[in-house]
Amino acid sequence: MNGHAILYTGVTLAFWSTITIIGKISFYFLYFFACRFLLETSPFMWALLGVGLAISLSVVGAAWGIYITGSSIIGGGVKAPRIKTKNLVSIIFCEAVAIYGIIMAIVISNMAERFTGTTPETIGARNYQAGYSMFGAGLTVGFSNLFCGICVGIVGSGAALADAQNASLFVKILIVEIFGSAIGLFGVIVAILQTSKVKMGN
Amino acid sequence: MEASKCSSKVQLLAFISFFFAFLATGSCSAQVPLLIWSSDSLPPLASPAAGHITSSDQWTAYLTSTFSSGSHTVLLFLQDKLSKDDFTVFGGVFGNKQDNVFHNLEAALQSASSSVIFQASEWLGSSAILALLQDKLDVSPLHVDPDTLAELSINTSVNNLLVISLPYCTGLHKPCKDILHGNDEIIGKVLSMVKAKNIPYTAIYTGLQPSRVISESSVLNQPAGRSLLQAPVPDVKPPIMFNVSGNPCIMLWAQNLNVSISGTLPWVDLATETPSVTKSRCSSNSSLLVLSYTSGYTLSFYMSQRFYPGSARNWFTLDMVQLQYKDLTGVFLGSRDISAPAEYSYHCSFVSSVEEPLLVPNNSDNKNTSQWMLNFVDFQIQGFGLANGTNFSYASDCAGFFSPGIWMGLVTGLIMLLILVYGLHMITHLNTMDRFDDPNGPLISVPQTE
Repeated sequence: MNGHAILYTGVTLAFWSTITIIGKISFYFLYFFACRFLLETSPFMWALLGVGLAISLSVVGAAWGIYITGSSIIGGGVKAPRIKTKNLVSIIFCEAVAIYGIIMAIVISNMAERFTGTTPETIGARNYQAGYSMFGAGLTVGFSNLFCGICVGIVGSGAALADAQNASLFVKILIVEIFGSAIGLFGVIVAILQTSKVKMGN
Repeated sequence: MEASKCSSKVQLLAFISFFFAFLATGSCSAQVPLLIWSSDSLPPLASPAAGHITSSDQWTAYLTSTFSSGSHTVLLFLQDKLSKDDFTVFGGVFGNKQDNVFHNLEAALQSASSSVIFQASEWLGSSAILALLQDKLDVSPLHVDPDTLAELSINTSVNNLLVISLPYCTGLHKPCKDILHGNDEIIGKVLSMVKAKNIPYTAIYTGLQPSRVISESSVLNQPAGRSLLQAPVPDVKPPIMFNVSGNPCIMLWAQNLNVSISGTLPWVDLATETPSVTKSRCSSNSSLLVLSYTSGYTLSFYMSQRFYPGSARNWFTLDMVQLQYKDLTGVFLGSRDISAPAEYSYHCSFVSSVEEPLLVPNNSDNKNTSQWMLNFVDFQIQGFGLANGTNFSYASDCAGFFSPGIWMGLVTGLIMLLILVYGLHMITHLNTMDRFDDPNGPLISVPQTE
């Protein structure tokens, strides 16, 4: 195990053991810790975190995929210039992931409305639900696009290099890429389902 | 240390210690500095310690011994008022030597063959020193100023007492610094005249009275050691208790129990009145505290306690607060916020039906009571579990450890920190491509020309 792995594991272990020990010593503290945390943080924080994560994680995935594919296309294109135009379709698949992200970010951010209320009672259950839903949706679309983008990128890189060797391989590998890109779409669908019942406001 | 053997450095030190000396503690006694310098040798005197007040016996004895034999010409520079503080303020002692007004005096002390300085000699009266000198020298004083001195011829074979009166700052329009500077000039002139006439002299510079008298109260009046300057803590009133068979069953404490019947009348603070709690009841599941006031108000607190399976413990809640006045009843529902584990008491700084309401009014259907408002300040209540006498159990406070802002800041901060750490992790793992590295092959050549 290299140093980074040890560090991250150690930090996680320390965090969880602290929480457990405090919880065991004082149930009271842990109960109110968790309860107060969820009740006192504003739904707006959650909603806007969701928006931010939706777009940023999607962009990370798209960027990662594009740079992987792009470097392969450029490298392969030196010896086999014919692959350049055809393989741009892999780049477009990666870019689509970023587009999903920005569409969801706009859709989610449009659901954030003003509400008056400062205590848990006056804020109301519906606003809390709205906040958490938006956070969940953002997280969903963000992470699914992140991994989709990486997947499409690696597959596209392989497609470019295979195409450089043998032109008939490209279409077969493209089918794999299509399957990879479908998973990003799943994330978008689930996120839309999560925010379908969101109604923020008084 | 013999005065005549004083090196200039030690003399300077004496001068500096003179300037920085602090007043001794003790009863109020006025002190005047007494500076004596002479072209002859003065009897030796151990320089007094800083802050030491030379008693009148000591300096009279010293002056007696000085003028006991031989003929002396004494120049007595009598300033109206003189204190150590004048030297401190105007002597340029804080590194600002250029502001020193006592140039001539300092030069005279340094150039004199011997000098004695009493930083603080006990002051006995304005004419004490004059009378003493007159007595010892057996000659009447002659009041001179620099102009008359020039024409005066002094017979050195007999004692001479020349008194030069110098003014002090009070009452004159010039700033103090200029007056003292003028005095210093006079001293300088007189001394140079006397030196020019080659007359051995003894000069004394002192004041008729001290310019500043600081009375120090005796330390014994105050208790030894330090005491905290804390405001006296007001007595705390005891909580309202409902007793069952001698022990309290329900306890309530509040700094203010403000109720408002109508918006125009001022708030009534029920905590200032003494209630009767006879209608209260207490059981293991529910408690009711009824406070009946003679002014017509009745305040009832309905509490209940049960087991909650979600958290697997007993919690008690303040379900309802009822206010009755003149056959009208206002009901305020205590939301689930007013709750605490059953063994603890509940405390909150503000329990009200107005701003940040913990008590939600349920009176919208009754137009008489819809304007009623409650506002309890520093409120603590316990309805169950009072086993140990008259103390509240541990108070579960309505305010949490972290405020909402702290929570939200921590969450977003930690998320961003996580992203940063992950990004740094990726950057540290960047690799340059080494697939086609061939250490034995030809080096890459980049031609300079086309």
